[in-house]
Amino acid sequence: MRVLLTAFLLAISTISVAHPLRLSLCEVEYVPKKQLLTVNLKLFLTDVNEAITFDPYSKELAFCEPNEADNANTLLMKYVNQFFYVKANNKKISLKIKSKKLSGEGENTALWIYFELEQHDPLKSLEIKNAVFTDLFFDQNNIVYVHAKGESKSLMFTKKTPVHQLRF
Amino acid sequence: MSKSMRYFSFILVLTLAISSCKEKTASEETETEEQLVERALAIHDRVLTVDTHADTPLRMIEPGFDMAERHDPRETGSKVDYPRMKEGGLDAIFFAAFVAQDIRDDDGNTRAKALCLQMIDSVIASTEKNSDVVGLALNPDDAYALEKEGKRAIYIGIENGYPIGNDVSNVEEYYNKGVRYITLVHSSNNDLADSATDQNGTEHGGISEFGASVVSEMNRLGIMVDVSHGNDSVFYDAIKLSKAPIIASHSNARSVTEHQRNMTDEMLKLMAENGGVVQLTMLADYLRTAPPNAARDSAMTAMRASITKPISEMTDEERAALRKSFNELNEKYPSPPATVTHVADHIDHIVKVAGIDHVGIGCDFDGGGGIEGVFDASEVMNITIELVRRGYTEEEIEKIWGGNLIRVFKEVQAVAEELKTEVGS
Repeated sequence: MRVLLTAFLLAISTISVAHPLRLSLCEVEYVPKKQLLTVNLKLFLTDVNEAITFDPYSKELAFCEPNEADNANTLLMKYVNQFFYVKANNKKISLKIKSKKLSGEGENTALWIYFELEQHDPLKSLEIKNAVFTDLFFDQNNIVYVHAKGESKSLMFTKKTPVHQLRF
Repeated sequence: MSKSMRYFSFILVLTLAISSCKEKTASEETETEEQLVERALAIHDRVLTVDTHADTPLRMIEPGFDMAERHDPRETGSKVDYPRMKEGGLDAIFFAAFVAQDIRDDDGNTRAKALCLQMIDSVIASTEKNSDVVGLALNPDDAYALEKEGKRAIYIGIENGYPIGNDVSNVEEYYNKGVRYITLVHSSNNDLADSATDQNGTEHGGISEFGASVVSEMNRLGIMVDVSHGNDSVFYDAIKLSKAPIIASHSNARSVTEHQRNMTDEMLKLMAENGGVVQLTMLADYLRTAPPNAARDSAMTAMRASITKPISEMTDEERAALRKSFNELNEKYPSPPATVTHVADHIDHIVKVAGIDHVGIGCDFDGGGGIEGVFDASEVMNITIELVRRGYTEEEIEKIWGGNLIRVFKEVQAVAEELKTEVGS
């Protein structure tokens, strides 16, 4: 009976909606020789537009286009700073865009945002928050690859677990 | 009969009436929906059920994520854990270690390998930690042996050959770790092969020279060659190059749903000649062309038109309120979902074109897979119910749910044995 009831609930379910994979990628790298910490965020452009302008196909901010809006970076960082941070040795890093670019086409167009930060003290710990687009999608997955001290590690960030810490 | 049960019967009878059917026996013709579901669930319980593709290792690297706990997919987004595999009657699964394509140089390759090994190790650690309910499976028969013990079989695959880098000896290292299939390429071209979805188009004209050596090494070791995500030329090259049958671990039929990740009828026929298997996936866009959602589109347009204040001048509170309104609107007008009916349509087509021996299931849970009725691992029995409804026999369902894949897996291992004998003789 339990099985039949389960089947019943499935048969009348109207809640389920097909969800594509909601994903962002990020690489954080510590380069001690150059005393640098680099952060490369790769976000789907449609998600960025949806998050900032409430329209996935908006041309208003025109990221990386010749007609990019004057306030595009300001609005972008206002959103990123709300959902993403990196703390090195317990100190929150001020993120300033060093460069950005587009790759891919159509729905698969990605916006890459590159940050480069000076890190003079030896890196002992990292705390990363990555909750980008969890305000839009309950099933958003944010993968962060961390390369530091000769090791590479993947971390998965979700709405439920938006912050992770690493010690070296 | 309870009120809810009457409604249940009504819904299922209605579905029965509109579903396409194979020939049914006299007793099946008079069967009620309750009896049909009961019969389907009994079949589902008896046959070995294998899902060849889940990106669950991505979840396993989420600190605190416990595979032994049941997760709510609509709260967490997670689609597979061990309790839900048991609930859905899913006996075996391939957890794919996935590393996103990145820079193709020595540094990138080294990092990709480290990340891949981390994923594989997380799967192995999970099976060790939960050895009371699951077991690491390495050979085809392990799935049956573990099923008899009442445990789920956990196989390992690699999605994207990127972590092989340009060193073919890595293939054996992954084999020794337990990897039993490798998807040659993912969403961008790599050193092995061309992707179906790389915006730069073809780079190698299919499988590269290095990729050919990887295929050869996979044949030697007994690793299944997976062509999902490859462009069409990758498929044709793999058919030519591989001495063993190949698989598509998560792909559908292109003449049912036009998508470059799906397989043409010609490819399906060749797959049959090759003795391989196409594992059907639960990705909505590969199962059906999304129908228009005019009500939502016009409501969205109206809401956007009502925004009079420039976005840059909005306060955080105003933005949050607007976001809430948009989210509510999305909930009010959900996209028409892909359903198990679409899944069965693809199975029907592949059976028609390639035959019953060349189709299986690879849901792509935790990698975007999940549709209405098969939203997570706990709901996979609904595929069996739909197949029974369409008149598939237990023998046919056994082939679809695992028999075909296990046959290919055994042939891949047999070829590896033959190749070892040839070298030794």
